[in-house]
Amino acid sequence: MSRQASPAPQAAGTVSALQAALTAEHAAVYGYGVVGAYLAGRKQAAATADWVAHQEARDKLEALLRARGSQPVAAAVAYRLPIRVRNSSGAASLAVLLEDRITTAYLGLVALDTPAVRKFGALQVQASALRAAYWRGSTVAFPGLPASALAAPRRPGAGSGG
Amino acid sequence: MLRGTVAADPTRRVVLAAAALLPLAAVSGCGSVDVLATPPSEAPDVGLLRSAIAAEQIMIAHYGTVLHGAGSPGGGSGAAGLTTALEPLLAEHRAHLAQLQSRLIIPAGRSASASPSPSGPAAGAHPVPTAPAAAIAFLQAAEEAAATALLARLVTAPSSLAQLFASISASEATHVPVLDAVARGPAGHAG
Repeated sequence: MSRQASPAPQAAGTVSALQAALTAEHAAVYGYGVVGAYLAGRKQAAATADWVAHQEARDKLEALLRARGSQPVAAAVAYRLPIRVRNSSGAASLAVLLEDRITTAYLGLVALDTPAVRKFGALQVQASALRAAYWRGSTVAFPGLPASALAAPRRPGAGSGG
Repeated sequence: MLRGTVAADPTRRVVLAAAALLPLAAVSGCGSVDVLATPPSEAPDVGLLRSAIAAEQIMIAHYGTVLHGAGSPGGGSGAAGLTTALEPLLAEHRAHLAQLQSRLIIPAGRSASASPSPSGPAAGAHPVPTAPAAAIAFLQAAEEAAATALLARLVTAPSSLAQLFASISASEATHVPVLDAVARGPAGHAG
């Protein structure tokens, strides 16, 4: 009842999901600066390309928020990174962590009802999953989905296994 | 609206037909047994789920065909490497299928798959090439098409299902560069 005057709950949910994705993108833009610093050659070029991709996604999210009359969250001056990077393999691990968080944040957009936002979120889920797979060196079955979001399969009698 | 059948949280399942059956029977009241004899039309999300399940079954069949070819005597020298590269991707498709199937509650006597024949669900529509390079290119195209199809399906899906579709679509998209590396030879290892 206290939120009577606020815009429709749907719009509020959209804005908070967009802000969450933007927060993750700010952290990724910062984080990739660290990732790139520990890499050389092709890997550094890949990190630079990913850094640019995150800047573009950040700009897009800011535009989506402004279009909804919301002030985009600002980037922090510095971020506490989830791991301490000391070498190239640490840099790759950090990139994986950043991408995994981004993937989950964009899955938040996929849950929204606005088709354009949902589609944008799904494309970004793909993009971040692709980057994560590159840095991880392998693929996963359910990018961005926490284990708690997955039902324990109950072996449906279809016998479709092998 | 049939939104009541939608899985609001991921652990809940989409109830196939059963949810729609009950009100129908109640409205018709006593008498006619025909009401129960003709199944009502399915909720839209059930249709989306069935399509996604059928697509995964086709993909699994494709991988099975290629792996079978690699395992046969004529598979060639790179066959072992091919098997090693493809098995993890196939395992992920099996995980996708299991997860999609777990979102359906199937009443007795009905099949979860869109096509009732478990042997080869529509796999004959596009025969898998036998030459390894062509087979890999075929799988790549199939992964791309599957990822794109899920992107289209998720637009109208309920939230929880849309998230699962987006995640599976992303997983399938990541298979494409892996297959690309396989096509370019053993030197193309990512990690």
